[in-house]
Amino acid sequence: MTDIQQTVYVVEDDEAVRDSLELLLKSDGKQVKTYPSATDFLGDYSEDMAGCIVLDIRMPGMDGMELQKKLNARHSLLPIIFVTGHGDVPLAVDAMKEGAVDFIQKPYREEALLEKIESALEQDREQRKTLGERQEIVRKIKTLTPRETEIMERMIAGQANKVIAIELDISQRTVEIHRSRVMHKMGTHSLAHLVRMVLSVKDLIDVG
Amino acid sequence: MTDQASTEPTVLLVDDNAQNLKVLYETLKDRGYRLLIANDGEKALSLAQRHHPEVILLDIMMPDLDGYQVCERLKADPATADSAVVFLSALDDVDAKLRGFSLGGADYISKPFQAQEVIARVGTHARVIRLERALQQRNRELESDQTRILNAISEGIYGLDAEGNIAFANPAASVISGCGVEELIGQNFFELHFRQPRPCSGALWEEPGEQADTRDRAEPTESALLPVQATCSQGIAEHQRDVTLYRADGTAFPAEYRATPKKEDGQLTGAVVVFRDITTELESEQALDDARNLVQEQRDQLAHASRMATMGEMAAGFAHEVNQPLTAITNYARVALRMLRTDDPDPELLSQTLEKIEAQSHRASEVVKRIRGFVRKPAVGKEVLSVGGLLEETRLFAEVDARNNDGGVNVQVADDVPDVVADPIQVQQVALNLIRNALESTRSAGSREPVSVAARMLDDHTVRIDVRDHGEGLPEDAEQKLFLPFFTTKQEGMGIGLTLCRSLIQAQGGEIGFERPDGAGAVFYFTLPVAPANREN
Repeated sequence: MTDIQQTVYVVEDDEAVRDSLELLLKSDGKQVKTYPSATDFLGDYSEDMAGCIVLDIRMPGMDGMELQKKLNARHSLLPIIFVTGHGDVPLAVDAMKEGAVDFIQKPYREEALLEKIESALEQDREQRKTLGERQEIVRKIKTLTPRETEIMERMIAGQANKVIAIELDISQRTVEIHRSRVMHKMGTHSLAHLVRMVLSVKDLIDVG
Repeated sequence: MTDQASTEPTVLLVDDNAQNLKVLYETLKDRGYRLLIANDGEKALSLAQRHHPEVILLDIMMPDLDGYQVCERLKADPATADSAVVFLSALDDVDAKLRGFSLGGADYISKPFQAQEVIARVGTHARVIRLERALQQRNRELESDQTRILNAISEGIYGLDAEGNIAFANPAASVISGCGVEELIGQNFFELHFRQPRPCSGALWEEPGEQADTRDRAEPTESALLPVQATCSQGIAEHQRDVTLYRADGTAFPAEYRATPKKEDGQLTGAVVVFRDITTELESEQALDDARNLVQEQRDQLAHASRMATMGEMAAGFAHEVNQPLTAITNYARVALRMLRTDDPDPELLSQTLEKIEAQSHRASEVVKRIRGFVRKPAVGKEVLSVGGLLEETRLFAEVDARNNDGGVNVQVADDVPDVVADPIQVQQVALNLIRNALESTRSAGSREPVSVAARMLDDHTVRIDVRDHGEGLPEDAEQKLFLPFFTTKQEGMGIGLTLCRSLIQAQGGEIGFERPDGAGAVFYFTLPVAPANREN
């Protein structure tokens, strides 16, 4: 997962700032893609994008905050660094509440910007790694039969084998067989680990 | 004159013969006359003096004073001279009649007279004398009116002859000149009031029409005409203000005068000069000017303060405007440094980057220049301006705000809009104020429609600029209040903006107002005068 090529997406309406930032990041060895407006970026956006967004908070038309909300609605994981002007700190605080990783005030020092970009990319890598793991869990869950899935849900809910057998009107022995198949398919020996795995993908699948 | 009031004309009958008197009396009685009777000359004279008869029927042949003598004495006395003397006599020779006329007699009736003739002649003379007396009375009234007016008028009045000698002066002329009326008469106007020897009327060679401007009299040259001179010698009417005249004591005062030529039978005989001392008037004018300048100064100061306040409100926007190029410059500079640190720097790329830095620094300084221009003081004054250029510059300014307000500004200038005359900063201030209001209003109504700014010809002399927003519009009673100080519809407004705008636009000779457009929002407009060279006529 970590060998995926990350891109810094620059969304900035000011041509000179955009152009200079592109040159700067490229000279630092980054892969860069620039957009003159939030709408342009949104038109290009896909879930496969990896990296981070450097986003001007104030832009004519759709501004940075609005783009952030739209991306959140599409479950984007791309970390956002907001670029703000003088007096935009209250806006930036709002942006942080909406999940932005950081903001930087214009005019900025290169080191500060690059540092923030590095850490955003790191966060993206982490998220992507976690996402990979979670996607693996989901894949495993999808190999379970409906009966196995049902048994697993009850295991996670903390029901004893005996209780499960009575409620499903099957023998306790049958419950034990299903249970060991679930543990095997999910690749774990510990009920605690299973609970953790399933809860970590709660938002991706319809369980629990 | 007391008898003038009576409605009946008085007729005095004079004859030494009682029988004749009786006949005359019978002839004229009940014909609307007051009849007086005298049987000798002395009585006739004394009655005439007391009663001023219109007509005296006078017998020539009388003992003691005869008719001729009576007539002579009547005519010699101003009190009785205007009565019409009609001689009565049996003497029917031409010499007698001529003598009567030569003594001032008006008519002659031969005895024995015909009653009808007497009635007719008396009637005619009574009417004539009545009219004459009424005419004289009217003349006297007019004369005394004229004198009263000349005496009462506060302007000095001179009657001058063709050489400029004073033939008439009213009391005001005497007061202003500091010289009694009697002393003024006969003095030369030019010598008295200009300390100049009496100019020779033949020395005038300037063309008529060029003589109007004789203001630069400080050092009179031979060819320069003194005031009034052209009127006296050439019959040209003059009117001048702020001319220095001298009083009799040698002190000077500023005067305004009108000189009108006096003509008799087409012949120039002199001039009438009406003049006054305008010292106080000039002082009041000066005071008014000072007050006007003060108001102007205060308006400029208020306008300046208001521009500073606007800049304060827009500070965040301007910081952004400057920070953009600064950010770009910082980035480019870093890029350039990195290039230099590589083993094989590309000079072409490097110089491109440096050029970009240069361009961005120009961009930043343009913003600063624009702000400096807007807040500079004092305002530059009126000049000929391109409406399009001015509005475009204002739009660049307003977009600083447009960014904050999520709005936009469209400028449209019709092709036929000519240059205007106005103070660029003050007009820009007004336009910016209206555009910012419009942006704010549009935003608070939740609209993203751009504010439209449009300029067009209103008529040959006027350009009108409309600023249209898509906001919530104006309250019902806005008409009465909108341009009043301290009236505001904004939560944080002071209510100074529009009042100041109106004052600034009025100072340009324009008007400001608003209209309710079809659909949402409001239209604020102002007008500016077209530059003279561009006017159609």
